[in-house]
Amino acid sequence: MLRKEQNDLLTQTGPGTPMGRMFRLNWVPALLAEELPENECPPVRVKLLSERLLAWRDTQGRYALTDEFCAHRGISLWFGRNEDNGLRCPYHGWKYDHTGQCIDVPSEPEESGFCKKIKLKSYPLIERGGILWAYMGPPELQPPPPAWEFVNVPREQTITTKRSQECNWLQALEGGIDSSHVSFLHRGDLNTDPMFKGAKGNQYNLSDSRPFFEVVESPGGLYIGARRNAENGNYYWRITQWVMPTFTMIPPRGDHCVHGHFWIPMDDENCWTWSYDYHPTRSLKESEVNAVRGGKGIHVTTIPGTFRPVQNKDNDYLVDRAAQKAGKTYSGVLGFGMQDASVQESMGPVVDRSKENLVSTDNGIIMMRHRLLRTLKAMENGETPPGIDLAHQRVRSAAVVLPPDQPFKDAAKEAMIAKPGVAPATV
Amino acid sequence: MLSESARMSSAAEARFRIDAPNSRPRTIKVIALDQPSERVIKDLAQRQWNSATFFTATAFGDAPRKGESFAGWLSDLAGRTKNLVEEINGADLVVMVAKAGENAQAASIIGEACSLKRVMTTALVLGGNSISDEVLSKTLAQLRPWSLMLVIASAEEYIADMLTALRA
Repeated sequence: MLRKEQNDLLTQTGPGTPMGRMFRLNWVPALLAEELPENECPPVRVKLLSERLLAWRDTQGRYALTDEFCAHRGISLWFGRNEDNGLRCPYHGWKYDHTGQCIDVPSEPEESGFCKKIKLKSYPLIERGGILWAYMGPPELQPPPPAWEFVNVPREQTITTKRSQECNWLQALEGGIDSSHVSFLHRGDLNTDPMFKGAKGNQYNLSDSRPFFEVVESPGGLYIGARRNAENGNYYWRITQWVMPTFTMIPPRGDHCVHGHFWIPMDDENCWTWSYDYHPTRSLKESEVNAVRGGKGIHVTTIPGTFRPVQNKDNDYLVDRAAQKAGKTYSGVLGFGMQDASVQESMGPVVDRSKENLVSTDNGIIMMRHRLLRTLKAMENGETPPGIDLAHQRVRSAAVVLPPDQPFKDAAKEAMIAKPGVAPATV
Repeated sequence: MLSESARMSSAAEARFRIDAPNSRPRTIKVIALDQPSERVIKDLAQRQWNSATFFTATAFGDAPRKGESFAGWLSDLAGRTKNLVEEINGADLVVMVAKAGENAQAASIIGEACSLKRVMTTALVLGGNSISDEVLSKTLAQLRPWSLMLVIASAEEYIADMLTALRA
């Protein structure tokens, strides 16, 4: 349970909000690089952290992320002409460069220098791992580029998709933290989905639906360990990483890819769900790429030309009650990604957490909220939030079998650090 | 026409969620397993709680061995002796609080009683990030067999946050 003021604090991320400030101190994924495929390509509207922005790529290939609207009469520059190192408003011809600086106002004499007085707000936008990352915080606090392993392995080893989700970012993140729902909501898919099936660890999951949990604070956020019985009195551990504010990494299964999410607020009632799959030591197989493109694993299929899932609230997520009854799916919704999104969206745009009844197994969620609230308080005293330090980003999830007396925090310590060329710890 | 899911998950519809209590207070027993935890629990007990009650298992030294009586082994914060099994009877959750590096041997007795009565257990370890892994491991080894949920927290205020979240 959270009081209304705490809920507001964590769910509101617009300009000037404390949680918005935490997001703005990080590089956040803004677009897939393929959305701006070439120089002078059409600009793309982007809404991030309740700010309407426009992403574009100029004649020299420089990425730009600027205020969407022309400073003159408020026209959306999405209609702009991307030409000759700038974006020109089609209404009266005002032109802006990639930093948002106005460089031409045709109605004013060039000698007046008027255009130098006009500048759109703009943010740095860089490419890493096929993703365009935005930094929307104070320039003097801009961190080094993201060090997440999945964006720094060779391109043939990683793939990322994004989709829109029609609820507040925290609802979606809480689904990623909550390991105990897997045995219910997703139970029909572990042995059939091409991105999961065949792993020995699946059998531990399916044969023990009441895992024991351990929640441990990590330097960047949390380790959430789920413990199930394995052979000879040993334990099968699945250790999820959460790095503040919004990165999660799910433990791998067998030789399948490692995967996880970012949930980035568009505004307070919608977010972008970013889903990545990568392998630290090998190229992705064609079958894996096809599975991702086909909406398998944690990914979903989207309506062509958009990032809206094909299964969405307008069609009741294509719920199949017969499949639910037959046990093919637990909720009637097909696919991991949409199983999560459908239940999270059903809570409403921003769920009222004063009405919830959390239980002991929700300690991962409770601790996540506690750490966010604690960090917001520390930021008031000038402290840097966890997650910005690059060491906090060089992490891995892990799936391991350990003797009963070994804490996963110690026994799997090395496995939870990303090391180039080293295979993930997986069962 | 909007689908039912689209209509019903809108912000406008959220206003119509029934505004009535959907749960009754849970009975939560919070037990300090060592002296440093007892100090934390005593501070915590000063606050207003719905149905959380606070105990210590530190005053009587070692936990009873198998076959020995539980009587006289647990006490409330005023020092009154309590019967462990009676206290656990009817509880929804037992929270054991231990300081990392301290002896958490009492967890086995409490855990066994909870197991017998089918009561959920959560163990909270405080200060786990400020001591060596080896010392922490000893505390964890005592708690792990008896805790469905085990949390290692660096800040004492986490206990209050957790109890509030659980509507204790």
